[in-house]
Amino acid sequence: MRHITSIAGRELSSLFVSPVAYVTLTLFALLAGFFFLAGVLSFDAQVAEAQSLQYTDYLEKINLNDAVLGPFFGVMWIVLLFLIPGITMGLFASEKVNGTQELLLTSPITIWELVLGKYIAGAVFSACLVLVAAFFTGILFLYGDPEFWRTISGLLGLLLLSWSYVAVGAFASSVTRNQLIAFFLALVLLLILWMLAVVADLGAAGGTIGADSNLSEVMRFLSASDRFEKMVRGLVDTRDLAYFAFMIGVFLVFTKTSVESARWR
Amino acid sequence: MSGGAESSESAKAGSSRIEARGISKRYGDFTAVEDVSFDVGEGEVVGFLGPNGAGKTTTMRILTGFIPPTEGSAQIAGYDLFSSPLEARRSVGYLPESPPIYPEMSVRSYLVYVSKLKDLPRARRKEAVDKALERCGLTHVQSRVIGLLSKGYRQRVGLAQAIVHEPPVLVLDEPTVGLDPIQISEIRQLIADLAKPGEYGGQSVILSTHILAEVEAICRRVLIINEGTLVLDAELTALAEEGQRLEDVFTRAAQGESIALGREVGK
Repeated sequence: MRHITSIAGRELSSLFVSPVAYVTLTLFALLAGFFFLAGVLSFDAQVAEAQSLQYTDYLEKINLNDAVLGPFFGVMWIVLLFLIPGITMGLFASEKVNGTQELLLTSPITIWELVLGKYIAGAVFSACLVLVAAFFTGILFLYGDPEFWRTISGLLGLLLLSWSYVAVGAFASSVTRNQLIAFFLALVLLLILWMLAVVADLGAAGGTIGADSNLSEVMRFLSASDRFEKMVRGLVDTRDLAYFAFMIGVFLVFTKTSVESARWR
Repeated sequence: MSGGAESSESAKAGSSRIEARGISKRYGDFTAVEDVSFDVGEGEVVGFLGPNGAGKTTTMRILTGFIPPTEGSAQIAGYDLFSSPLEARRSVGYLPESPPIYPEMSVRSYLVYVSKLKDLPRARRKEAVDKALERCGLTHVQSRVIGLLSKGYRQRVGLAQAIVHEPPVLVLDEPTVGLDPIQISEIRQLIADLAKPGEYGGQSVILSTHILAEVEAICRRVLIINEGTLVLDAELTALAEEGQRLEDVFTRAAQGESIALGREVGK
């Protein structure tokens, strides 16, 4: 346990002296700010238009959660999908380049301690990103009245997504010593995961796989999109929480196996 | 520094710190190390020689628990590398061929981190780090970032991380590579000090090198490996008594000649 905190602490402090962390944070803050502002402005315009046209039904239905936060979280998901590989690419790849893999694997630590320490560092950093997103949603509470728990549920969805992405990224970083390869491998894996639901629906529509076939069932299970949308709508389901725990667990087991395999090469 | 016959006898009398038994390492059809066995006693400094690609680094990686051997077993400070790997690894300090460093860390914070990884109790950490800094001549650069140090200093940082937790066994892969002559003699003195019984305890050192003079300067015993097989395991004094020069012995070993000298290999 002490080893895990030592490893995570070192990783985080190294992240925060590297340009990668600041580029990622800045980029995320800029993109989040841009999309948040765009969402708020378009909401404002819609409301003004509805008021001038006296669409009372519409004015009754429209709310900040559906009109601003929903799309905002959706966009943040895509931004995380591209940024998290940037954070995780160095987790294991840089140890190989620095020669410190030999230090770690000859130290009295277990592979699990190493993998968990690295994972926690990535998870803490990605939580910082989600905090930035939370900051923007917090602004809405100053000037409007979005539903509190629905907003929290959406942010939790974003956090869990980012944590499962960190696990995927950690795995990608563990299979190579080249950070660029680790970045693109993570991105490809995440894009595949992202598209699973789309492919499953396509298959259902085209009848090639069939809506009821086991394959599209599996693909829909592995896809995060339905679950994330549910959480954005404010539905926190234990099955969805279990899904994220499952994805994190699976990719951490892959990572552990991959790190361990260095001993057998 | 090659000790007299008496002190070498007393060192061997102590329990053996490294016990390698029939270690082999194969990668597919390629055999990197074949049936290597030897002992290193307390306070002994053993030079590990061999041409490039002979299996020195592989043997050292096996002894430090970095990679498992295909066959054979090894004990470090009485702990079996397979049945109690964590205890065995805790007892080893390892300087790999290229020193493991995090370029963005300061020298001091790096050594503190290593001491945590190696399970050094918190109460002893500061003192141990100070001592390692001092012994490797790093005290005045302790707050500098490692990536900005010269190659010689990085090599010393590598050595400092190997000795910081004062392990009973040190495995040093070419410890003086990249150093200038003054630094080389400092490091040699340090290694000789490490092996001395006393304040720091007689640490057992196995070091690989290409500099034969280095072996003659600090080692009591020499192991020569060629094409994965141990071809010589002898006291330097025994070589001297038989009128053999280390250089000649090494050249003959590298040419694949079997050397009947000293102890029988593999015994």
